[in-house]
Order: sequence, then structure tokens, then C-alpha cells
Amino acid sequence: MATMSVTEQALNTYVRETGGWIASQLEACTRCGMCAEACHFYVATGNPEYTPIWKVELVRRAYEQRFTLIGKIKQALGFEKPVTDEDLRHWAELDYYACTMCNRCSMVCPMGIQLADLIHEARAGLFEAGLIPSDLKAALDKQIEEGSPLGADDETFDDRLEWIEDDWDVEFPMDKEGADVLLVFSSIEIMKFPDNLAAIAKILDAGGVNWTLSKEGREVTNFGLYAGSDELEMLIADRVIRAAKRLGVKRVVVSECGHAYDALRFRAANLRGEKLPFEVVHITQVIGELVESGRIKLKAGAFENGKVTFHDACKIQRRGGDFEQPREVLKILAGDRFVEMTPNREEAWCCGGGGGVIAIQDADEVRRAAFTIKIDQINAAGATTVAMTCSNCRLQFLDCVDHFNLNWNVTGLAQMVADALVEEG
Amino acid sequence: MNPSDLMRLARGPLFYFALLFFIAGMLYRLTRVVGFGWKKDLTKPKKSKIAGSLLAFVKSVIIWPFIPRVEGSLKRNLVAYFAGGLFHLALFLVVFLGAAHMLVWKSLLGFGWPTLPLPVVDWLAAAGIVALLVLFINRLVNPVLRTISHAAEYLNLLFVFLPMLTGFFLTHHLLLPYEAMFALHVLSVDWLLIWIPLSRISHFVFYFFSKAIYGAEFARRGAQP
Repeated sequence: MATMSVTEQALNTYVRETGGWIASQLEACTRCGMCAEACHFYVATGNPEYTPIWKVELVRRAYEQRFTLIGKIKQALGFEKPVTDEDLRHWAELDYYACTMCNRCSMVCPMGIQLADLIHEARAGLFEAGLIPSDLKAALDKQIEEGSPLGADDETFDDRLEWIEDDWDVEFPMDKEGADVLLVFSSIEIMKFPDNLAAIAKILDAGGVNWTLSKEGREVTNFGLYAGSDELEMLIADRVIRAAKRLGVKRVVVSECGHAYDALRFRAANLRGEKLPFEVVHITQVIGELVESGRIKLKAGAFENGKVTFHDACKIQRRGGDFEQPREVLKILAGDRFVEMTPNREEAWCCGGGGGVIAIQDADEVRRAAFTIKIDQINAAGATTVAMTCSNCRLQFLDCVDHFNLNWNVTGLAQMVADALVEEG
Repeated sequence: MNPSDLMRLARGPLFYFALLFFIAGMLYRLTRVVGFGWKKDLTKPKKSKIAGSLLAFVKSVIIWPFIPRVEGSLKRNLVAYFAGGLFHLALFLVVFLGAAHMLVWKSLLGFGWPTLPLPVVDWLAAAGIVALLVLFINRLVNPVLRTISHAAEYLNLLFVFLPMLTGFFLTHHLLLPYEAMFALHVLSVDWLLIWIPLSRISHFVFYFFSKAIYGAEFARRGAQP
């Protein structure tokens, strides 16, 4: 067969991956446009092309032209233009730059369409066509080759851990036989938030958890998911899954990283076509369990610095369900100085940095624009400290705090918990 | 052909053809979508997916559109909520609880039911027509809707508008003699029945898929749909 055009490759991907799950949702859309008003990228910029369902347009066109009678009629009569390479390049910008897969739009949709998953489909085709943004591609390649998108290769990983062990006075058990729990970090934490690694180690030790790290499955970050490549997503997730199986752990604990949790907890088994022989939980849930069962004790009122609010991360809260644990912890730490943003929990506004967006330099402007919604929300709540359970959100917050000159303290929940641990006498 | 011949044709053979086309067309689309196959979910759900789906339906039928799903979404989508909500409400009430329509259902199903008083149906129809006009204008002027709309979206509104308008004229004996307007009304319904399986007006069927998926997906992930 002659070499396929970019367009054919993308369209073939859409057609190949169409199942009832996707088709029925594409069929349900009435194009009411309400999803636009739920999208931080649209609301912040007013660009109608950022309407979530519009980001799925190519998938819809491919579906209709290939599978529906009316689509074929429309195409034959010339009502619907064929998809061009130029279209694909345009949609690559819409789908990679201006969507964090936060799925807030699905809640506003009268049909409840899972728009984030459909946009992920759109990315899948663009990836196959080679239209992934170059910096995202570079990070993905780096993760495939070196094991880490941010450069935490074997040597760097060891060096970082050694440094953290010395400076924070913690120990990282490595590939410990008989451990119950495998702890996996994100590359952001390893490279940018070393205090988070130390904090989580302290919490698990204080709670008497029998845990280990693994050299093979050291990083849970998954740029394959961002890219839209099921194949690479699986390849990356497999590193952790292999390590967990080899060590025979009961549980894999994902550190403060959102999309990695999504990939391992809610997608990996389905992509592999087999159930995972261990449980996948987020560190937020572990903290909740340890506090609730009294295995760790926190100093009530330990947080003394103004008001603190909690940012719901899309992959850990709205799409992960861990809503209450962080709130319980913050109530202990800050009492009535813990304030909620409005709206929150399932309805929370996304920070704008997820879905790989923060890794794409050309998306900086729209990413920071989306964050202005968060600024208004937090100012309205009167908080000066923002806690969260996702390091990708935290990176976005720190970048925007710097960019907009905000006088906020940005922190991770684990760090607050570690700082407030009461040593058992 | 005089108006009464046309009327007989429209409500006779044409109507039954349109009805069959509608049923066959919708069945085709349903089986097509189901036939794509469904992957089994191998992840461990955080909450019951069935309960999540049921909750999604209850919420969307009873609460929406009277209480917005997401804080701020009412204010941001006033036209869609009010005109859209009113249009659907008026359409369902007039089509199922209008006396003349109930008689059509009775002739098809063999049993009837109590209906709303004519003045109520009349006002509902008028409200539905106005709501549809508002939706049409909104689609023409709203930048988001202009971006995402194709010809089919405007045609959908037009083809639903025609039976509503001719029905309203019919009850008020406006514009044309009764039989001629009756013929136009039934013809527009015949055409609508043919158009539905070819268009996205069919969302009333796929709604049950997407809403069930929505509820199950949120429950699977431990969130409330």
C-alpha cells in the first residue's frame, strides 16, 4: 500500500477504535453548546473553538462519514467537506493545547457525554498522524527511553534519593522483599518537589506501613496517556505493574500525581485486558485511612498561617473520588480557617495545567489564561494558602503564582500532613 | 388533487410509510451502535455503577432543567436552560396530552388516556413555538453555537417547527382552510418522522446510553454523577 496521508492515518485510528461506548455518545450530542460554558479554556478566552464538543469534531466526522447513512449522503452531496491535513493540524492545537481532560464539561452536558474521553480519542488519531506537539513528544520519547520525561534516569534517580535521604532524614527502602505496598512517584516530585518524597516516606513510616520503592517501577508518570497512545501508555504502565507483580505487593500507592493515578487505577486493566492482581490507591486515600484509624496522629491547629483552601484535582477528585479525606485532614490542621472555594468537589474548576498542557510551551498563554478563574475563586474564598493532592496542579499553581505575582502559599497535602505528624512517645 | 385527497394521503399511506421508516430507521441505528461492541470493564469500581446510572437518570429527569447541575451553569446558559427546557416540556405535553394527538395514539395503540384542557394545550403550543424561535435565533447569533452548528442543526429546528406551527394554525383556523392546513400539518409530521432517524433529533434514544455511561463512569471513579 502506498504511504498513507496524515489524514488517512488519523481517520483510520478513529474508525478502528470506535466501539459502542464511543458511538452511542457521539450519537447523543444535540450540539446545544452548553459544554463551552463549563470549559475553563473557553470561559477564560471566549474562543468558541474551545467548545469541548468542537474539539471532537474530527472524530465525529470520521464516524459519520464511515458509519452513518446520513454521513455518506452528506458527503456524496458535497455538504460535508472531507477532512484535510490542514484540519488535523488545526485540531492538534485545539486538542493538545486547550484541553486538560478534566471532564467538567460532562457534568453540564444534558446528555452526560464523557467529553474528556472523546477528546482523548481525538488525540489518539492526531498522535497516530504524528501531530503531537514537539515538546510533548520530546518528553514522551525521554520517558520511553530513559524511564522519565523529566530526566530522572537510573543515575539521577539514585542521586536524588540519596540526597533526600540525607537532607530530610528519611529512608527509601528499594525493592524490599515482602513489602505490602509499592510506592510510585511522579517525575515532577522526583525532580521538582523532593520534599514531597520525604513527606510521603515519613507518613508511611509513621503509619507503620510496610512499603518499598522499586527501581523498575519507580515512576508512575505516564506521557503515553497525555499523548493519546494506548500502546505507549501500556508500555509505561507495565513498568510499574511488572515491579508490583514481582514484589508481590497487595497495593500500589500512587503519590501526588493525577493523570498517573487515572492511568493505573482506571485505565490500565482495561487496556491490558486483564484485572490487576493488586489494588491501586492514591496517597490521598492512604492518608485518609491512616488518620481515620488513628495510625497517624496530627497536631490539631498545626496550620497557623491565615486561611487555607483545597483545590480539587480533576483526576484525583472529580475523576478519582477522593473528595473527603483531604477535607477531613485540613479541618484537623486548620479548623475553621479551612475554607471552600465555590464551586468545589465534582464541580470544581480545573487549574488548566493538566493533560500534558503544562508541558507544551506554545500553550503557555492559554494555560495561564485558564488559571485566572482559579485566581478569582481563591480570592473570593479569602485564602492565602492552597493545598492540593496533585503535583501537576501544583506546578501550574507555582508557575501562575509567579507569573501573576500572587502572594499565595502553594502546598501539597502530604507535605502539610508530614509537617503536622505527632511523634508517638 | 384537492385538499381533502391530500389530507387522506398524508394521514393514510404516507403516515404509515413514515412511521415504518421511523421505526426501521431507529432500529437500524440502535443495532448499529450496539453492534460496535462493548468492552468489558476490568477495573474495580469505587461505587456501584448501576446505582450511579440510576442516579444519573433520576437527577436528569427530575432535577434538570429546573435546578442546574453545576453551579453557575444556569446563569451561563440561560437560553439553553429556559428555551430548551420549555420547548421539550411543551412538546411532550402537547404530543402526549393534547386531545387530538391522544386520539392518534389511541388509534395506533388501541387505548387512550385523559388529556389536558384545550386552552392549556394551546398556551403550551404557543410557548413551545416561541421557545423554538428563540433557540433558532440563538443558534444564529451565539458564537459557540454558530461554530458547532452545521446545516443539519438548523434543519432540525425547522422540521420540528413546521408541525408545531401548522398545528397551531390548524386549531385556530388561521391562514388556510381547515382541510388544507390539516394536510400540511400531517405532511410535516410525516416528513419529521422520516427525518428523525437521519438526524440528531434521535438523541432521545441515545440519551439513555450516554446518561447511563455518565452515571456508571462517575460511580466507577468514586464521584457522584
